[in-house]
Amino acid sequence: MRFWALFKRDVLVAWRKKSNIYQPLVFQLLIVTMFPLGLGAGAQTLAKIAPAVVWILALLSTLITLENIFKNDYEDGSLDVYVLSGMSLPTATLSKAAAHWLTTGVPVILFAPVIGVLLHLPAQAYAVLMLSLLLATPIFSLLGTVGSALIMNIKNGGMLLSVLIMPLLAPVLIFGAGAVLETTLGNSAFGHLMLLLGCTVLSITLAPLAAAAAVKINLE
Amino acid sequence: MNRIVKFYHEMGSPPSFYRITSHWLKPMLWLAIVLTVYGLIDGLLMAPTDYQQGDSYRIIFVHVPAAWMSMFIYGIIGISGIITFVWRMKVAEAVMMASVPIGALFTAVTLLTGMLWGKPMWGTYWDWDARMTSELILLFLYIGVAGIYSAYEEDPRKAARLAALVAIIGLVNLPVIRYSVYWWTSIHQGSSVSLMGGANGIQHWDMLRPLLVMALATKFYYIYSMLARAQTYLLKTERKKQWVLEAIDQQTNHNNPAGAK
Repeated sequence: MRFWALFKRDVLVAWRKKSNIYQPLVFQLLIVTMFPLGLGAGAQTLAKIAPAVVWILALLSTLITLENIFKNDYEDGSLDVYVLSGMSLPTATLSKAAAHWLTTGVPVILFAPVIGVLLHLPAQAYAVLMLSLLLATPIFSLLGTVGSALIMNIKNGGMLLSVLIMPLLAPVLIFGAGAVLETTLGNSAFGHLMLLLGCTVLSITLAPLAAAAAVKINLE
Repeated sequence: MNRIVKFYHEMGSPPSFYRITSHWLKPMLWLAIVLTVYGLIDGLLMAPTDYQQGDSYRIIFVHVPAAWMSMFIYGIIGISGIITFVWRMKVAEAVMMASVPIGALFTAVTLLTGMLWGKPMWGTYWDWDARMTSELILLFLYIGVAGIYSAYEEDPRKAARLAALVAIIGLVNLPVIRYSVYWWTSIHQGSSVSLMGGANGIQHWDMLRPLLVMALATKFYYIYSMLARAQTYLLKTERKKQWVLEAIDQQTNHNNPAGAK
């Protein structure tokens, strides 16, 4: 099936150039070091902001990888080949999003506990933290394909990409970081997680269509 | 019926849109000016003082109409975005791109007057309250639409379709953003005007009247400004077409009866 062929190809390309995979994690590590330096190393202060910081770092480190989802394919012409192959465009963009999630989202989820430990995140919050990121990272990748498709033939489109994507990610951050925060306060995160799941389902349904429309306009 | 259908079709074609709406500009501008002057005098000088907020509440006559317009114009952008995207109508592109700077401006005015109102009432210029935050996010959405257009500006038709796509995505997301931010937290006062006559809203006709007048004034200003910008947009994007040359010719002859070129 073409979906899997494209998926395998994208994962392989990312895997061959390993910096794609570890760059976001190094970025997170660099930024998280800045927080104790700026705020003071008090465990209580850090634990208080930990849910938000872990989440924002996951978001920002994904954001820096989004620009290239379509850019390379557009520049070397392989995007034209996908379109000419008769493959349905929403399927192609969904496949791109899935590959991006596997190579960026999954490492970010697995790395989140490390950032949590560095910020003294309370022990009861780790399960919810990883669960909330498991629900949210697909949204990052899916909206990322939309943003990347919109800016693929602009030079230095990274800033524009952030302007386009960030407002759409506000609800995700509210529900996701909210879920972790509620857990650290000893409350149930069920409501937040369900709303987050709603956002995930919504973006799986709609984002491939929007990304496909943007690709189509850009290739005309 | 026939005339309405004809009018509808004429408004879809750039030359007749330009011809028809160029007669509308002056009346709209005058209506906006007269209503603004009346509304401001009525609101700032005549309306009774609020029993709780004193005279500082009077900024409502700028703040609330601007806030209504900031959302109303995004709705217009979304609708003309859908028309642009599906039917590729040039007039819809012009209306959409002409509305973006006006909407962004009203959003900025809403935020600024809100901050000025917040200082005496809440004791702070800014608080991360739900309405303020969602208004700020609305400003980002406007900036996004304008940004994607200016990035592709050398190809205006493509730029307009991509901007329309961004506007539609924003429109779909607006309810999600709004509710998520609302559930987050709020200290903002409730709605000032409710059709069902809620207990917290404005009850007094002398206060309500200037508010409604100002709401009308901002609508007329929007129509004026949007049409003027849409006309310029059409002249710019269609500059190689015959009708533009004729329109410019007519304009210069009109200003210059001697015909000196």
